[in-house]
Amino acid sequence: MAASVIGESRSAPEGGPMSIEQVERGLARLRMNEDGSLGARATVLNLIVVTDEESAPSIAQVVADLSGHYPCRAILMISDPDEEQSKLDISLSAFCSLRHGTPGGTGSQICAEQITIHAEGPPAGHLESLAGPLLLPDLPVFLWYPNGQMPRPAESDGMVALADRLILDSGGVDDSDAFMRGVADLSAGGSPEVGDLQWAALSPWRSLVADLFAPAERAGELGEIKRVEVLHRPAGECRALLFVGWLASALGWRPESAVRGKAGREFNFSGPSGEVTAALSPDSPDARLRRVRILSEEYSYQVSRHRELSDVSSTVMRSGELLAGRMVQLGSFDPGVLVGEELRYRGRDEVYKAALRTAAEMLDL
Amino acid sequence: MAGSLQTNTQLSADLLRDDSRLPKVPEPGAMVIFGASGDLTARKLIPALYDLAAQRRLPMEFAVVGVSRTQMSHDEFRKKLRKTLDDQRSGETSDAVWDSFCGSVFYLAGDTKKAETYQELKDFLKRLDGERGTRGNRAFYLASSPTLFPAVVEKLGEAGMNRGENGGWARLVIEKPFGRDLESAKELNTGIRRYFEETQIYRIDHYLGKETVQNIMALRFSNSVFEPLWSQHYVDHVQITVAEDIGVGTRGAFYEEAGALRDIVQNHLMQVLCLTAMEPPVAFDAEGVREEKVKVLKSVRRIPEDKIEEFAVRGQYTRGWAWGEEVPGYREENNVAPDSTTDTYVALKLFIDNWRWAGVPFHVRAGKRLPKRVTEIAIQFKPTPHAPFAGAENLEPNILVVRVQPEEGVSLKIGAKVPGSGFQIRSVNMDLLYGTAFLEEVPDAYQRLLLDLMLGDPTLFIRADETESAWDILNPVIRSWAESEKVAFYPAGSWGPGESEDLLARDGREWRRP
Repeated sequence: MAASVIGESRSAPEGGPMSIEQVERGLARLRMNEDGSLGARATVLNLIVVTDEESAPSIAQVVADLSGHYPCRAILMISDPDEEQSKLDISLSAFCSLRHGTPGGTGSQICAEQITIHAEGPPAGHLESLAGPLLLPDLPVFLWYPNGQMPRPAESDGMVALADRLILDSGGVDDSDAFMRGVADLSAGGSPEVGDLQWAALSPWRSLVADLFAPAERAGELGEIKRVEVLHRPAGECRALLFVGWLASALGWRPESAVRGKAGREFNFSGPSGEVTAALSPDSPDARLRRVRILSEEYSYQVSRHRELSDVSSTVMRSGELLAGRMVQLGSFDPGVLVGEELRYRGRDEVYKAALRTAAEMLDL
Repeated sequence: MAGSLQTNTQLSADLLRDDSRLPKVPEPGAMVIFGASGDLTARKLIPALYDLAAQRRLPMEFAVVGVSRTQMSHDEFRKKLRKTLDDQRSGETSDAVWDSFCGSVFYLAGDTKKAETYQELKDFLKRLDGERGTRGNRAFYLASSPTLFPAVVEKLGEAGMNRGENGGWARLVIEKPFGRDLESAKELNTGIRRYFEETQIYRIDHYLGKETVQNIMALRFSNSVFEPLWSQHYVDHVQITVAEDIGVGTRGAFYEEAGALRDIVQNHLMQVLCLTAMEPPVAFDAEGVREEKVKVLKSVRRIPEDKIEEFAVRGQYTRGWAWGEEVPGYREENNVAPDSTTDTYVALKLFIDNWRWAGVPFHVRAGKRLPKRVTEIAIQFKPTPHAPFAGAENLEPNILVVRVQPEEGVSLKIGAKVPGSGFQIRSVNMDLLYGTAFLEEVPDAYQRLLLDLMLGDPTLFIRADETESAWDILNPVIRSWAESEKVAFYPAGSWGPGESEDLLARDGREWRRP
């Protein structure tokens, strides 16, 4: 269906500070077509994004792309509370899609709206007072902090309270231990539900690993796992921790000890059938997981990604002999795709919570 | 979760897949396609299976075996399939993924009427069980000519392939047409059921695999606002249109045998009718949904054979203009008899004699060479009992239109006041266009149905009694038309013959222009 849509970006000429009424009126004007007809507004959610000046251009592009696929009212908040002077600048834009097959296009324009709020100084410390009145009623509110950012302590109450779901991104954080603990604390609170783009990015990997053990004759091997090796990018440790946390929580492994060395980190678990070691190595030069290898006495299970392509290979070996193998597509990990994945997910993600909890326990060792 | 891990024998991959974020993946198995050298295999089935494999929706232990009379090696078969895929996708196929997928695609040349072909197939599938771990599970897809269906089913049964190997499952997929009339449909079903249980049979109507068709159920049964209005209390009549803008093209020979009644009305249109009129199912599962659909078909009033003309119109297109181009009439098409009476257009007036729909006419039409391709359901509501506004006596009725294609959405025609003094009412179309709220890639209908087949979910497949009931409704029309030469002509590019307009005009109604 996406192919049947063409889009048009429209921006309001005015900017600067505006009242709530001016914002609503300006957005309605943007939905108006040249012939005077009003484009319909199909909206499935509210999306608030909090970011800084530096990241704003790239994040704005992601939000614009997203609104083509998830019609929403997006509120992009560029926040700089450290400035001394108060400043508030609001600009409006809309992305209007025209569906093919309707002569003239009248009544076929679907518009998603974007409000960009640039707040500096004291107003940036009270973002909830700006975002709250602009939310569309009766629709879920997603609050996204991109690029490893977390809600500032001052935002934790106001902004987070507006959201039904908080989306974070543990990719590329400097201190993965602190970030994971922070997310675990937020998640334990329960409201709003927390999601992590790095967890969304793990779905295909987890599915491929589950496939390796799908035949009944290999399912028993889950209890024979002795070692797990994860190659990841240097700044992608959180994703690797979540992966191991997931395996451990699903298979009942209890974290016992941890060693940090030059080559990476090793965690030891006590499982129902004995000891299991998980080794995490920041060995991959690119921005993703590179390889997951799961070893038992006899078998070696591996999912590995091609360095350049998005194809991924899965193999099952027994004593050096290839038993099964295939190549599939891993899918896209662009931020827009991952955020889109999170926007589809509305419920409580118990599997993620368990993986996160276990990962936090591993870090506490 | 740790508490559930007691012994290794209890471990299951479900521990890793028990997660709503991860897709369901079928058990290992092999799909055997009869008629594998045909168009359907190369253009629909293999691309759908390739996409499923690439998107990690198939198990690692999966194989496809094509069977056909044409002599070909495995590699020749694979190259032919790859070429069609490349032509369709203009080089967007991943070489690495294709190489991996086609390593599990095989070909067996053989005459499907001969027993030895099945013995060879059986041995080959057993070999795949050992080499590729397909575990005795088989889906047999009959993509060959319908005339071969009975022979293939019989030979499969005689070879003992109507049961999977070593406790595995065996499923049989049949493409429409499911017979030519009620008698032949019953004969086909009886023949199949000599060897396969109904639960093993998957009758495929790709219309049901379309997201947009499934959305009819979502609209009706997930929105409480529509359901109370959905009955004879408020509905004046219903119009269902399945229109195509193309002619028969190269399919003249096929169409001479089929016609719109058999090709579209018996299956696609009856399915849309069922989804529109059915009661809410207890659950969205195979028996829940199909049971309710059958109830609708059983409730459709049978047309008396001596009154066919009052309820049915057979039309055929003549030379005309379509989208700025002059196009030939049906009788001028290749492989069509110059005096053919084949129906390229059908209009029917049907009644559903049950509590909900008593007295509400369902006007259904399907045709080729109509002005545009569109499938829609229009629910026209009864007029208001009284118009309190002076000068607004002729208020137009509300119409709720559910568009299935090409632009999925819902449109509601409502009356609104024209600004100014006085109280003038005008109708306004409110387009809900709910389809635009989810602009995600919509899976191909075959992808969805093949995956359901491998997962063993027959909800979107057609049960024997559905297909027989649909034929039973149409049988009087088929018999009457077989004995009559009368055809109503319409120029290509128009909305059907005048007789079709008369069908509604007699009740003071008219077809809407989609």
